Amino acid sequence: MKKNFKVVNNLTPSVDGKGLMQGRHAYADDIAAPNSLVIKLLRSPHAFAKVKSIDVSEALKVPGVECILTKDNVPHVSFTRAGQGYPEPSPHDKFIFDEYVRYVGDEVAAVAAVSEEIALEAMKLIKVDYEVLEPVLDFEKAFENKSVIHPEDGIHEMFPIGFDPKKNLAASYEMEVGNVAEELKKSDVVVEDTFYSQAQAHAMMEPHTCNARLDEHNRLVIYSTTQTPFHMRRILSKTLGLPVEKIRVIKPRVGGGFGGKQAFHGEMFAALVTLRTKKPSKCVFTREEVFGCTYTRHPMRITLKVGATKDGLINAIDCRALSDTGAYGEHALTVFMIVGSKVLPLYNKVKAVKFGGQVVYTNHVSAGAYRGYGAIQGNYAVESIIDELAEALHMDPIKLREINSMKEKETSPIFEIMGEGTEGTAMIMESCKLPYCIKRGRELMEWDKKYPCKKVGDHKIRSVGCAIAMQGSGIPFLDMGSCTIKLNDGGSYMVTVGATDIGQGSDTVISQIVAEELGTTMDKVIIYSSDTDLTPYDCGAYASSTTYVSGNAAYNAACKMRERLIKEAAQELNVKPEDVEFDGKTFTSGESSVTLEDLSVGRLYNNDTRQIAVTESYHGHVSPPPFMAAFGEFEFDTETFEYKMIKYVTVTDCGTTINPGLARGQVEGGVTQGYGMASSEAVIYSPKGKLLSNTFDTYHIPTCKEVGELVSEFADSYEPTGPFGAKSVGEIGIDTPPAVLCNAVYNAFGVRIHSLPITPEKIFEAMKAKK
Amino acid sequence: MLVKFNLNGLDVEYIIKPGEYLLDTLRANGVKSVKKGCDGSACGVCTVLLDDKPVLSCSVLTAKVEGHRVTTVEAIQEEAAALADCFSKEGADQCGYCNAAFALAVHALKQENPNPTDEEIKDYLVGNLCRCTGYQAQQKAIKAYLGGKK
Amino acid sequence: MKAKSFQRVSSVEEAYKLVKESPRNKIVAGGLWLKKGNAEVETLIDLSNLGLDKIEDKKEFVEVGAMVTLRQFEQSKLVPVMAREAVKAVMGPAFRNVATIGGSVYGKFGFSDVVCGLLGYKVELEFYPEGKISLIEYVKKPGFYDGILTHVRIYKEDLKAFFKKVGITALDYPIVNVAVTKGKEYRIAVGSRPLVAFRAEKAEAYLNEGGKDFAKAAELVVEELKFGDSISNKGEYKKQLALTYVRRGLEEVNK
Repeated sequence: MKKNFKVVNNLTPSVDGKGLMQGRHAYADDIAAPNSLVIKLLRSPHAFAKVKSIDVSEALKVPGVECILTKDNVPHVSFTRAGQGYPEPSPHDKFIFDEYVRYVGDEVAAVAAVSEEIALEAMKLIKVDYEVLEPVLDFEKAFENKSVIHPEDGIHEMFPIGFDPKKNLAASYEMEVGNVAEELKKSDVVVEDTFYSQAQAHAMMEPHTCNARLDEHNRLVIYSTTQTPFHMRRILSKTLGLPVEKIRVIKPRVGGGFGGKQAFHGEMFAALVTLRTKKPSKCVFTREEVFGCTYTRHPMRITLKVGATKDGLINAIDCRALSDTGAYGEHALTVFMIVGSKVLPLYNKVKAVKFGGQVVYTNHVSAGAYRGYGAIQGNYAVESIIDELAEALHMDPIKLREINSMKEKETSPIFEIMGEGTEGTAMIMESCKLPYCIKRGRELMEWDKKYPCKKVGDHKIRSVGCAIAMQGSGIPFLDMGSCTIKLNDGGSYMVTVGATDIGQGSDTVISQIVAEELGTTMDKVIIYSSDTDLTPYDCGAYASSTTYVSGNAAYNAACKMRERLIKEAAQELNVKPEDVEFDGKTFTSGESSVTLEDLSVGRLYNNDTRQIAVTESYHGHVSPPPFMAAFGEFEFDTETFEYKMIKYVTVTDCGTTINPGLARGQVEGGVTQGYGMASSEAVIYSPKGKLLSNTFDTYHIPTCKEVGELVSEFADSYEPTGPFGAKSVGEIGIDTPPAVLCNAVYNAFGVRIHSLPITPEKIFEAMKAKK
Repeated sequence: MLVKFNLNGLDVEYIIKPGEYLLDTLRANGVKSVKKGCDGSACGVCTVLLDDKPVLSCSVLTAKVEGHRVTTVEAIQEEAAALADCFSKEGADQCGYCNAAFALAVHALKQENPNPTDEEIKDYLVGNLCRCTGYQAQQKAIKAYLGGKK
Repeated sequence: MKAKSFQRVSSVEEAYKLVKESPRNKIVAGGLWLKKGNAEVETLIDLSNLGLDKIEDKKEFVEVGAMVTLRQFEQSKLVPVMAREAVKAVMGPAFRNVATIGGSVYGKFGFSDVVCGLLGYKVELEFYPEGKISLIEYVKKPGFYDGILTHVRIYKEDLKAFFKKVGITALDYPIVNVAVTKGKEYRIAVGSRPLVAFRAEKAEAYLNEGGKDFAKAAELVVEELKFGDSISNKGEYKKQLALTYVRRGLEEVNK
């Protein structure tokens, strides 16, 4: 549905791109208070141990050391570090410092000193007496293991999530629609397979950073690279026993999050150090800490059983998953559920579907939120087994997907059953261009010429693979955003939103929405975001919510402002509001008119003076999924099995692209990040549980030379519940590469690789085994 | 110890520790456009120009730049603005954390090789990691900035 | 890095004197490996003032000062093409503008693409005070010299050359690296096994005596040289890579 937009769906530079490239001080560490105390964290060298005693007396004597925090002098209140709506679906299983340490890198003490050098020197003098315990390092052996990772008192779930720590269970879930066992029995063809995915690292360019200070009201002010400032404020308040109104959390410019900053990192420590010393403090993680002491993706084992008729109609899908949430349970249940809820509805015509399994604790780095949030792990498994089913049916894999996948105006019972840790929300697909995406992508890839593979030289073949995907747009009834618009003299608008821009461009997209609705240009919209004092509430940047939820709030506010301005102008012109026309610059009624500029100046200074401002909110009643069809072409060496990406085609239905350039950026950035998970990002632990792949030398994210030609198109689509027809686009890009690559490898060599990343060496091993 | 060098056209004098790195010296003295990404010689966001050549400032001992010329993005504001325009036309403007380093590297590339091929651009910038864009939009923007290829 | 002092020496004798004074006095060439080592240093000995940053045509050989950066090396028309390719395989330009030839060769790192590439040539190293030693002898000998590497000399030869670094991404450490040259004789070097590149003398002998079966020569390489597991790759796969690329390298230099 093509609409004649003036700002929305037009190429628009981001509001901050130029300033940032020119080097303006904008990121958290750039604006730390000068002479902030530097906080360094003493971390456990053991994967699992009890801290029998800590002696900081020698360390405290070092000149320049101002404060040392340990379990002996901080509040003992359990919380979850996860930034989620309240009550959180993650267990409250973390203390600021506990008497147990649960992974190599778990925090034992925080040292605040006048310099990093002194803090590190003092840290060496802290004596810790550990009782080393037997760690659980195999998630397939974690359930009911004799080593209990969370034996402590004082931890709990906020509502039933299957939390059973005595059995090393952080969460569990089961659901069934229809009778899967019966439908499988009736099926002509049944395929079954198991897939493993790894604990991918976010590897955002900016390390986790925070700083704290007391302002002139003696209130605690925290600058943090957080995706969820409001959740952070609430959690700080409850854990430290400080009223919410005494805390201010500000998110400055953030150098990438991808979910890795949707939880606490150094803020508890900075808050306490500043509260105790009254001095500003900062906590900047090293890259090794970013890799090994924040969060990873949940590694999973997913087993699928799919049954179909000989004509290719899928009868039933049985999906069992086991997820490793590591030392703590942030995002444990919710990521797990999305393996099912944001993948299985793609095949909505099944007669029965079953999804369930467990999320276990292990003594690995804690897993947490990460773009895709379960959908990429699920997509790898489901979109691989669909290809296996196609082969068993002797059917074209694209045709199999076409006849079984979601179409516009259809639904899936899964939407109603599976929500954010609880029940979901039923919804009809008001916009779903998946059939077009598949057809168009197939054309763009020239699939028919290339499938399954072709020899292109001595020892060189090229093959293709495909996958389809869906995600969501915010969490219905839980995610809420709001927006205040204030009229400045001169006719410009000051927009304040809680929405968190972590590089995905929400500041820009929201400004565009406001500019479009108010008929003005981007230079007349000023935006300030993510400050718990100055901006209205927003749940934060997760679940692909900023365009849909925060954008709708901005749209509502802009509509309200338009209404209000027309009322003001009507009063000014002495006519009825319904007789006033507004083109963004001038209000006209018959022969009389007044400009916005004049009206705005008058209202502030000398003409029936008042501040014209509105605030509106939005929470979704549905979560309309974006859809994508992806096709990848790869060239393989038939002796070494090295490969490279030749072309990766995506056709995405995200409704209206509010900012077409940034939307493509989200897709291509997501594809590249997903391709890293598929091809090069191996996670390596030592036998004793220490993360070895903890630098850019040892953990390989794609460079510009690994990315082939990206062809990214958008379907002409319009989501009626979205702002100007938009849905989300932040996560969906990441979901397809693992299955696409897995399918391409199979099409090239006839071997299926069941674990990520799919390395040349694994293909080599599989080919050897095949012989 | 004292170190004297030319920073963005101005002679400066800093008191430093012998084992201090240029990245930390610059940031401690107010030049926060230079970012710390990994402190491990591997990500490129700390890139500055040393005598017009790109170097990893996290890995250059400040003492070694005595008498040399250091350039950060503050000295190439117009070029950075022009590159930013090209970036935004391609949608390559995302989190921005790697951007100042890219601006310097592209500026150095332009001086060294004003008409690079696509491969030459990639080879020159391979050490500048980016996690947001997927690189293609950046490549297109940089080609547009450099004004065409061989 | 923690260091008590930084000294820019004016002679190689001065540098050596400081090295002998304490094991905590460290030579700074580019400083990259020093940074990775994260040692606590007494005196950082900077060699920037010794004029070791030149690449010169010395008739019989090209003489490369130890302080020449990898980037200078890769861009110099005096240096043979394959050696330049091998150096170009290391990280990115901003890294190579800091890293030096001396630093890359002295440490004989297992993963070194520089050492592997140079072993395809007749290369002589000059140390103060130890004097001259061929690169292959230096690589083979246990341990290091405690003196200072001042020059790397690449003898001029008319030869065909091939180099391959296998890695997962462009910035990866190599899974293996392979250098093959054919002039008056064959030279084959395979590194990152995970051990440092060694010459495959049995295979070279077979070829130099007239052997024409390149697949067989590759087999001989893989039999002679030790391959083992590294953290990310098994020796079995490294062997497969070596087999393939030695053979392809021999085909290439015989075109």
